[in-house]
Amino acid sequence: MTFIKNNMNNRGFEMSFAWMFAIIVGAVVIFLAIYFTTQFIGTEREIQNTEAGKQIGILLNPVETSLEDAKIAKITTPLETRIYNDCLIKSGQSFGSQKIAVATASGVGEKWVEPGTASSFYNKYVFSDSVVQGKEFIVFSKPFRFPFKVADLLFVWDLGDKYCFVTPPQWMEEELDDLSPEGIKVVGNLEDCETLDIKVCFSTVSNCNIDVNMNAQSVKKNKGTTTVYFEDSLIYGAIFAEPDLYECQVKRLMSRTSELSALYYSKSSYVGSVGCGSSALHGNLLALSNSTSHFEKSFDIILSSFISNELGTQNRRLSCKLF
Amino acid sequence: MDKKGQMKIQQMAFVLVAMMVFFAMVALVYFSIRMSGLESSAVSLEEEKAKELVKKISSSAEFAFGVTDCPNCIDLDKVLILSERKSYEGFWQLDYLEVERIYPYGEGICDRTNYPDCKSIKIIDSENYGSAVSAFVSLCRWESSKDGYFKCEVGRIIASGEGLRNE
Repeated sequence: MTFIKNNMNNRGFEMSFAWMFAIIVGAVVIFLAIYFTTQFIGTEREIQNTEAGKQIGILLNPVETSLEDAKIAKITTPLETRIYNDCLIKSGQSFGSQKIAVATASGVGEKWVEPGTASSFYNKYVFSDSVVQGKEFIVFSKPFRFPFKVADLLFVWDLGDKYCFVTPPQWMEEELDDLSPEGIKVVGNLEDCETLDIKVCFSTVSNCNIDVNMNAQSVKKNKGTTTVYFEDSLIYGAIFAEPDLYECQVKRLMSRTSELSALYYSKSSYVGSVGCGSSALHGNLLALSNSTSHFEKSFDIILSSFISNELGTQNRRLSCKLF
Repeated sequence: MDKKGQMKIQQMAFVLVAMMVFFAMVALVYFSIRMSGLESSAVSLEEEKAKELVKKISSSAEFAFGVTDCPNCIDLDKVLILSERKSYEGFWQLDYLEVERIYPYGEGICDRTNYPDCKSIKIIDSENYGSAVSAFVSLCRWESSKDGYFKCEVGRIIASGEGLRNE
């Protein structure tokens, strides 16, 4: 028994207090270092994503049209990126806001983290899925006229999305032919689309992802469960955007139309007093301002479009045009 | 425990505390540099935004002269009315926005009493604004003389991005 005890004492390792102290404190220091580094990386990623969101918003400015009827641009990012598109209408805010947030993929830690702080833009209208992911994004811009120019609409998709437009109207086919946007193919038959394509049908064909009815000015999505209504270039918005986002953006556009109608009404009164008479438009300008300020759903655009069309015709007849 | 051992522990504790203080100071210096960099990058982003906006604002609905196809033409009559409206406050996210007539030369801020024989229309005028950028444009308006016609003059649009505010 004595032999065994002595043997154990010889082989045992006596850990001094200094060692124990160093190990515990060392572990705490290493833990703190790892913790703060992780936090630091997270903060840096958030800062970079926030800056990228703002930059993408700024990059969209030159894409907007001037005299052109449509414009196309490609945005390429160095890393795979998620663009979060959101639309917000707050009570008391005249025009609502376009929110753009960005998250970039990372090779360190989690591949995707929450997007950076969203940048707000009050004069932009981006129509896309709520999250667009990729390295290359196509931005297609078209002005929205109702009947005067209201804003430039931006339709965004990533190169991974392939749209197949089946028998679109002639003006759209010509426009797409001229611009040749990447990711959009125009075909005459549904069979000419690839299996994974997003099929956009303009005539009554089954098995389409998106059904466009040009006569009813409506677009059916989500297997026909959601219908949104369009006017003018909003047809592309109805095709590319998620229905909720589309409804929100249309509401924002209508409040801007309302303000612009009021602006043109005041301008008409002013220039009328100096010999450029356009008082014939007053009634319809007030009616358009009123109808668009009480806008609820995209269906209301069909009702307002009657006033808009009449206003456009009246303006064309004027010798001193208002817009 | 002997005195030598206690001394060693104290030494180690001091070294660790000194290390922590050192790293904390390094972190403080880094973050203060990073924060000032962030502030300047936010300001430069706003300046960049103002630059891009000033190039495009003449084609936005509130400014564009839509009567004829005229690139970079501003409807001065519309801008005069716009300057009187409060609903567009904050819309362009700028601290300063002015439309100035360069030729023919005019004087004073425009209002309905001196328009169009005036120099400039201020649409946004914050007390403190940063560096401003400008772009040349044509200022078109209805001229009532000689049976009335649309007259375009040389002007420029001046804008300054939104500064950082402590809110």
